[in-house]
Amino acid sequence: MSPPPRVASLGLKTVRGAGSLGLEAVRGTGALALVAARTVLGLPRLERRELVRALVQFGYDSLPLALATAALAGVIVVLQSGLYIQRFGARAFLGWAAGYGVLWEFGPLLLGLIMSARIGARNAAELATMQVGGQIEGLRGIGLDPFAILVAPRVVAMELSMLAMSTFTFLVAILFESVAALFTLGLPLRIFFGTFAQMLSPLDILGGVVKTGAFGLAISLVSTSVGLSARGGAQAVGRAAASAVVQGCAAIFVIDFLLTLALAGWMA
Amino acid sequence: MDLRAEALTVKHGARTVLADVRCAVPPGTQALLLGRSGSGKTTLLKSLAGLVAPFGGQVLWDGQDVARLSPSARRERQASFGMVFQTDALFDSMTVRQNVLLPLVRRRVPQAEAEARADEVLLAVGLRDAADTMPERLSGGMKKRAGLARALAARPSVLLADDPFAGLDPGTARQVARVLLEVSRGSTLIVAAPEAPLDVPLPRWLYLRGGRLVYDGPPAPELEREQDEVLP
Amino acid sequence: MNRVLSFFGAPVVLFARTVRAGAREGVSWRECAVQLHELGGRSVWLVVSGMAFFGAVLVTIANSQARRFVGNVAVLGPAYFELLIRELGPVVSALLTASRAGAGHAAELSTMSVNEQVEALEMSAGDPYADLVAPRMVAGLLGVPLLSTLGTVAATLSAALVASLVFGVDGRAFMDPRYVDGWDLLAAGMKAVACGLYIPLAAAVAGLRARGGAEAVGQATTEGVVAASLGCLLIDFGVSLAFQLLRL
Repeated sequence: MSPPPRVASLGLKTVRGAGSLGLEAVRGTGALALVAARTVLGLPRLERRELVRALVQFGYDSLPLALATAALAGVIVVLQSGLYIQRFGARAFLGWAAGYGVLWEFGPLLLGLIMSARIGARNAAELATMQVGGQIEGLRGIGLDPFAILVAPRVVAMELSMLAMSTFTFLVAILFESVAALFTLGLPLRIFFGTFAQMLSPLDILGGVVKTGAFGLAISLVSTSVGLSARGGAQAVGRAAASAVVQGCAAIFVIDFLLTLALAGWMA
Repeated sequence: MDLRAEALTVKHGARTVLADVRCAVPPGTQALLLGRSGSGKTTLLKSLAGLVAPFGGQVLWDGQDVARLSPSARRERQASFGMVFQTDALFDSMTVRQNVLLPLVRRRVPQAEAEARADEVLLAVGLRDAADTMPERLSGGMKKRAGLARALAARPSVLLADDPFAGLDPGTARQVARVLLEVSRGSTLIVAAPEAPLDVPLPRWLYLRGGRLVYDGPPAPELEREQDEVLP
Repeated sequence: MNRVLSFFGAPVVLFARTVRAGAREGVSWRECAVQLHELGGRSVWLVVSGMAFFGAVLVTIANSQARRFVGNVAVLGPAYFELLIRELGPVVSALLTASRAGAGHAAELSTMSVNEQVEALEMSAGDPYADLVAPRMVAGLLGVPLLSTLGTVAATLSAALVASLVFGVDGRAFMDPRYVDGWDLLAAGMKAVACGLYIPLAAAVAGLRARGGAEAVGQATTEGVVAASLGCLLIDFGVSLAFQLLRL
């Protein structure tokens, strides 16, 4: 192929890509709004048994992963804050800086990314399997609302699980931080928790919980709408799970940015 | 090639799929492998082709233990096998012709000869006109025949067909059966199916039940009736 | 315990098999280039835009911290730049790539396993390790460091931009390489390379193990992406800890 047409086709491809991306975004937002609205409508007729099952699956079964994420997040934040805290000779402030980092950014962000991978992919895969196997059509056929039975319980369960896990994660992460500070920087636990308690307010914890909750909502809505729009065979299930993770991650980064700006402005 | 299973046991995780299967398949055997779904037909075919590692016992190719062959030696000898998979197992990023060519090209058959052979088998299965389409555009019967063409391209001396009639309408099934019988004349052919297909009257039946080989001999239609009787 | 063992063991076994098969069968460079193109083409927008948002968030956090701590956020600039280069750039980029490529690879390979295409490949004189896993591994090994670099650049630029425009301080402080030394670059490079190796392996472990139908594909995809993400965090943790203990 000669170079000029290649450039032209590349340009065309970019335009077409941008166009289809825009279309995709509009369609995605529409699907999201639809899922959100129908979930809210389905809330009063929420299927209890399904809610319990989803709570166990999304919440309880994710605990080991959340624990591992929290521990890693805690130690990583200490290693990182240690880096510049030492530069400024302000070791005593580590408790505060590390706590702040976990509560405001790394706790919610890492938990969100990992849960987007676990819960988001699994939720999308389950719904896509049902959609591909015609089970969702089947529910409609016998006059049941799939949103009340399948979607609303999942959204509610995911939100509750994420909120519960956020507090749990923060606690574990901070515990691991204090231990890591003791071992790598030789900072006594008393000093770590001293500045921690002195300089952090309950509002800081609220910031992290709000973020995690928003991430949970985004993950659940994105993954259900992706799962429900799957068409095809086994291939479609894989595609749905993969794109649920990607869209979930993208949503998390955008929401993180918006919430940080809003919360930082509001706290100031 | 002379195939033999010696006390073959295969497990998937904790589940035993094949238990102590013994059978000999000398060259030129034409047999039906029957049994309900989940009785281990697919696993037995795949074990004979060296695709599944046994948990116990051995699969012998001309008296050689497959598990002891080096990967490259095994691959070389696998060239004598043609396998038609239960799902179509076509590579969906390639056209039908490329699918058929792949095993030939990978075995370093010269390009011109490979093309000629691909055309020949595609003609034999009646897919010459659809050779340059992608698999996703084919109907179920055409996909089956494309899979058959790929299995035949390497001129195997053993042809293993895993439920080649699943999901086909009677007319298409008859067509696939005719092709299968025609091309396998003189070589080994094992066709797995849940019940004896009328279009493939093969002289030997192997009957699997719950992972055990319960019958090996001439056609015995009473076996299939028996199966209904033991149903709870 | 068993799960922990298989979490670490399975990718190592797969790596050894892939290297052996690749050495024996040869790896198609064409296929590697195709996979690299796929990886880059699919992940680059996610990584760049995600990291740009992340950089902006980082500055906002730094600003809140600075108000209590030193007064002017610009003072924290060089330290944050080091942090970004050494820790956050590679790790968050790798996490984003893990979610894109890990899920994508696991979905592709599990669909192939479920549709018996992997076995059909074996019958066609192909080797699943040399033909499917090795090109993805090479692509990850080359692609993830590249994506990390791009992501770090995006985060740095957006951090500098937000600092200048929103907080009215000199944004150049957030790209001041005063504290960055060779060890930082080495740590960053090691993380990116290790993640690039681990993501395709974790995805392939889950994908090639899939048996069954559509349900198995969903499960394998979930497993693959979770393992890839968690693995990236573990790698970051390991490398950081090693460098910390050596005081570099």
